[in-house]
Amino acid sequence: MHGPDVLWYLVLAAILFVTGALGVLVRRSPLIILLSVEIMLNGANLALISFARRSGHADGQVFAIAVMAVAASEVVVGLGLIVAMGRRRLQLDVDTLRTLRG
Amino acid sequence: MTAANAAAWVCLALPLAATGSIALAGTRLSRRGAGYVSTLTTFGSFAAALVAFARLLAEPAGARASTSTSWTWLAAGPYRFGLTLLTDQLSVTMMLVVAGVGALIIAYSLGYMEGADEERRYFAYMSLFVFSMLLLVQAGSLLLLLAGWGMVGLSSYLLIGFHQERPAAIAAAKKAFVMNAVGDATMALALFLLVEQTGRLDDAGVFAAAPHGGTVANLVALGLLGGAVAKSAQIPLHTWLPDAMEGPTPVSALIHAATMVTAGVYLIVRLHPLFENAYLVEDLAAGLGAATLVMAGLIALVQTDIKRVIAYSTMSQIGYMFVGAASRAYPNGIFHLVTHAFFKALLFLAAGIAIHALSGEQDIRRMRGIGRTMPHTRRAFLVGSLALVGIPPFAGFFSKDSILAATIDRGAFGAVLLACGLLGTFLTGLYAFRLYFVVFGGEGDARPHLHGRAEGPPSMVSTVTVLAGLSAVGGFLQLAPVWTPLTTWLAPVAPPFAEPSGAHEAIASAAAVALGLAGIAVAYRLYAVAGARVPRPWAVLEHKLYWDELYDLLLARPADRLARGLGRFVEQLLVAGSIGEVARGFQLGGAEVSRMQNGLVRAYALALAGGVAVLALVFLSTR
Repeated sequence: MHGPDVLWYLVLAAILFVTGALGVLVRRSPLIILLSVEIMLNGANLALISFARRSGHADGQVFAIAVMAVAASEVVVGLGLIVAMGRRRLQLDVDTLRTLRG
Repeated sequence: MTAANAAAWVCLALPLAATGSIALAGTRLSRRGAGYVSTLTTFGSFAAALVAFARLLAEPAGARASTSTSWTWLAAGPYRFGLTLLTDQLSVTMMLVVAGVGALIIAYSLGYMEGADEERRYFAYMSLFVFSMLLLVQAGSLLLLLAGWGMVGLSSYLLIGFHQERPAAIAAAKKAFVMNAVGDATMALALFLLVEQTGRLDDAGVFAAAPHGGTVANLVALGLLGGAVAKSAQIPLHTWLPDAMEGPTPVSALIHAATMVTAGVYLIVRLHPLFENAYLVEDLAAGLGAATLVMAGLIALVQTDIKRVIAYSTMSQIGYMFVGAASRAYPNGIFHLVTHAFFKALLFLAAGIAIHALSGEQDIRRMRGIGRTMPHTRRAFLVGSLALVGIPPFAGFFSKDSILAATIDRGAFGAVLLACGLLGTFLTGLYAFRLYFVVFGGEGDARPHLHGRAEGPPSMVSTVTVLAGLSAVGGFLQLAPVWTPLTTWLAPVAPPFAEPSGAHEAIASAAAVALGLAGIAVAYRLYAVAGARVPRPWAVLEHKLYWDELYDLLLARPADRLARGLGRFVEQLLVAGSIGEVARGFQLGGAEVSRMQNGLVRAYALALAGGVAVLALVFLSTR
């Protein structure tokens, strides 16, 4: 085994995930929220790959690729929504989009 | 299985096959075709019954009864009930009557129902009825008898309500079914008691093991009597029969005169050991019969619907049969059952020709004077009326008088029965010939629609002729005490308690004929002589002694009120109220919960994150 211990990769993954989660929670711009979600996904991916390296199985890597595919599609849909909002001159603030409240 | 058993199975199966094939063929079978299928199978049944009769006749008297079981019908714990037919003298006699008279009446229906809507349904029901009745009289166990009993009630319900577009017919059908269900229920209770006491329900086993005397024997007999009284339209369960005349006239002839309503008499004769174990109930049955025969005779005097008059006359005649059977004069009761089937079917069918020719008119005041244009029907009706009153040599004379003679030996109670019976013969003469003189005798302006020279379609006229012949000569089956083939034939199954002596027969006959003739004479004076003052009928008789009103007051209205009360206080408060409260609770809860859905995406995300954090903490702390 070469390189640093797997634990450090996991620490980095946790930092990425928490950063993304904080971004989702505190930012109001849908664009930034989308970015934060991407950061969370990448944190999760990093954790998957780290565990895959530690256990010696390829399962985690396969999962990571699947997550990337999902993330790519999600970005397409999300960006499309944001562009549509911009076109309709809606305010780009998630807190003002509250028509679905009960 | 003997040849007689095989014939019995054929006799039973043919009408069922007719019902099934008519029902399954649907419109692929023409209306006429359905009628022919029904007629031919019922005649086939009659032929099979004749074969069974001939086979039994060839056996020695003691060895004629036999049972045949096709398969185990019900098996429950230690009880096993087979689909068992009993072929003996009594059941063969009943088979001959049911299939014979049934075949004639169904043949008559070919003409009567022609062109009616849903002829196929009619003939399917008729065959179903014949099957049910045959099942009833051939049943080898009381359970099967109860099944036939219920099926007869069902087919009667279907046929009374045949004109389903008439509200009166539907109401009459329901009334008949409910009153019969009361009898079915008491009969079922009696059977429960019998199973509990004896563990069996086949005739011989029950007779051997049934309790003698005591409360249980009385209760069993009372329950069976309840069934008999309901089916045979005797007091107090009689009010359905007059209303049942809403059915087509051949139905009235077959079910509500010739066969089904006599099932009660058959039951008493078939299960006579159980009734003999409870002489109090026997006396009750005789008393009810006597009361019914007088009451029905009185009511028949004032009715104006021709079929209702004949219906009350049927009740009255079955009253005689009850008196006979409950006085342990079983052959006499069965004898009257047979002759009554002939002449009552004749009266109904002759009336049916008249009704048919008058396009459904049943009010005797508007049928006046039909006799001139319909001489054949008039003669047939006259024969039926004479047989009904019991004028020699017509059939009723032989059978009714022997019942009266059998009551003479029975002490004070017998004297009461005899008095009622004699009063009944007078009333019979009066109401029968009131009907005859008013409808057929007088000058009137009823204009029957006759097509061609015949008074009706050939199937109707010919069957009425055959029945008129049977009513004229059917009585010679037996002339007690000189010539008693029927008593001898039935003796192994239902031995009479006491043979009335020749002197008693003579006294009863003379008195009954004299009173019958007196009734006819009075009827002639009142209704046939032009300008005679017809007495105003008593209101109490016109209202049929207020039985319907009494039941309405005692049963229908309290039940109605109870239902309304339950509806108001139980249904609305408890049932509907509790459901409403539950619904309101969910509404309020939902309103509260919906506030959490505030539309703030970031709040949802926080809830998710918080939830995941809590889960993570739980997992970490419990590992």
